[in-house]
Amino acid sequence: MAVYKRTYRGYSGAITPSWSRFLVLFRFSRETLFRSKVQTAFFVLCFFFPLLCLLGIYANAHLSVFSFLGRRSEPLLNINGQFFFTYLTVQSTLSFILAAFIGPGLVSPDLANGALTLYLCRPLSRTEYVLGKMSVLVIVLSWITWVPGLLLFAVQASLSGWQWLADNLWIATGIVWGSFIWILILSLLSLALSAWVKWRIAAGGLLLATFWVGAGFAQAINAVLRTKQGYLLDVGNLVAAIWHGLFRDGVNMGFSVTEAWIALLAFCGFCLLLLMRKVKANEVIR
Amino acid sequence: MRPLWWTQILAVIRLEMKKTFFARRGLWIYLLALAPVALFLAHSLVEIHLRGVRHEMATQSRPITEQDLAAIHEGMTREEVIARLGDPPASRITMRRMPTGPHGFELIPGEVLRYSDGSTELTVVLEKGAVVGTGTTSGSSLGQDTHIFAGVFQFFFIRLAIFFGCLGIFMNLFRGEMLDKSLHFYLLTPVRREILLAGKYLAGLLAATVIFTVSTALQLTAMLLQFDTATISHYLYQEHGISQIVAYLGVTVLACIGYGSIFLAAGLLFRNPIFPAVLVLIWEAANPLLPSLLKKFSVIYYLKSLCPVEIPVDPGMPPLLALLVSNAEPVSAYIAVFGLIALSVAVLAASMTRVRQLEINYTAD
Repeated sequence: MAVYKRTYRGYSGAITPSWSRFLVLFRFSRETLFRSKVQTAFFVLCFFFPLLCLLGIYANAHLSVFSFLGRRSEPLLNINGQFFFTYLTVQSTLSFILAAFIGPGLVSPDLANGALTLYLCRPLSRTEYVLGKMSVLVIVLSWITWVPGLLLFAVQASLSGWQWLADNLWIATGIVWGSFIWILILSLLSLALSAWVKWRIAAGGLLLATFWVGAGFAQAINAVLRTKQGYLLDVGNLVAAIWHGLFRDGVNMGFSVTEAWIALLAFCGFCLLLLMRKVKANEVIR
Repeated sequence: MRPLWWTQILAVIRLEMKKTFFARRGLWIYLLALAPVALFLAHSLVEIHLRGVRHEMATQSRPITEQDLAAIHEGMTREEVIARLGDPPASRITMRRMPTGPHGFELIPGEVLRYSDGSTELTVVLEKGAVVGTGTTSGSSLGQDTHIFAGVFQFFFIRLAIFFGCLGIFMNLFRGEMLDKSLHFYLLTPVRREILLAGKYLAGLLAATVIFTVSTALQLTAMLLQFDTATISHYLYQEHGISQIVAYLGVTVLACIGYGSIFLAAGLLFRNPIFPAVLVLIWEAANPLLPSLLKKFSVIYYLKSLCPVEIPVDPGMPPLLALLVSNAEPVSAYIAVFGLIALSVAVLAASMTRVRQLEINYTAD
């Protein structure tokens, strides 16, 4: 058939249901995620601490195995809210570094190469595009935060019995909610930086700078202006304040949990605003 | 060194000037440098305003001494306070909710009286005609502010602002050209690669030094803005103020030299700035824990020894912060300056050997 006779025909195959359409972006992004060996190695490294915690929980429940070390009446570890708070702190630090690798490469190539139009000319809205890109980070970071966390909780519950599970169900809630808050913040910030900074690697560096410089500047504000409100600019501290509330350890960060929620919502709103300003379809008029 | 090499270095600096000073992608570095200036300026303006309010209050009431303010204590009646201090220049009526049960509360009327002797403000809280609380606030002294400046300078300015600023400026020198696919233009010119590296480093150093020393000078100016001429003169000429200012500016320049050389080398070795940024940041933060030999391979070790004001370790300070403040083995100023420059020269020499073998593969970026 001559080339000029090949006219456009619309796609007639099965269409992905609209509710799960954003996951198509995740499916394609997943393939590129682990091309880098360093990234893959780091991802594997992220499971070492949960494994260590698992061994700790197991050893704690089977103290008789360690009887050769001498008689011990008290447990090796206190598996309580503080234990899972520490677990979440370590895993969130690792997830932050992983997000610095993955996040900046999600939107910037589409914007730099003018590929956004190709997405948005399909039956995919801007919101679905953002959701799809965000789902990459949300799913990958979930694998290293709340999923192993819940597994550890389940193992401890199976070793300690139903009573422990019933008494400590709030810990599981804390793990899930605490992780979700952190993942949401990381995802929104990574995508916003990725949309505004053309260079993928510069966006990664800026993500680090945002957290560290933000924390340092918050301390500087507190010192110079003799206040505690500077901490409201430190995203890490805000999340820690909410986690302390979720894990019920009674630590006072110098501001209330409500203030932390308001500041975090404002931060997320700002990131979303930045992101949506950049994620726009172009109309070419000839 | 041949005169031709100098000419070439100057030519590279001239070309790089525009990219380092006026690039849009470098605007955030100016924000980073000016953030502490804004902070000290805000503090000074607030202090000037509060001082004005205190002075106004002092003129509106009868002359009050510090002893008069100290004499007010809990349990005194309103009349006793007025007899001692006179009519208050500022006061307001308050209503406090006092819980009486799980759902009920009682409204307790109160009054807040404010007095000032011109420098200190006394707030007297009265309920049912008697003093239930007092509080004094006074403006910050220059001594306090110099300590706060020292803390902000060591913790925020050197460790974060200059650190990330140099990361942005110096990693951009080679890696930025790679991403812009323009480095081959330099490599095609009849210039030795070592000369190119030296020219780029000096251009970056000039930009970083100008931006951050101006920021340091502006921060000090903003800090001193709230004080009168006599206090500033006393600080400058009697309390080694000039030598402190020179030391701060010198530390800023040395920080740019040190971090600049490290991030220039990192730009040649790493494609992603996250690796060197995280590694160097952890290495610098862990400096107090390192054995004395390894300490010498960090920039902050020398800079901390050169900082003119030592930050006092507060007993309530978190252990991690106290560790960062501590400078257990300070070195003399000469050794610190020499050590830092030697470290930078060694890093630059290593970079020069690396740049000789540099091959461009734009597709990899």
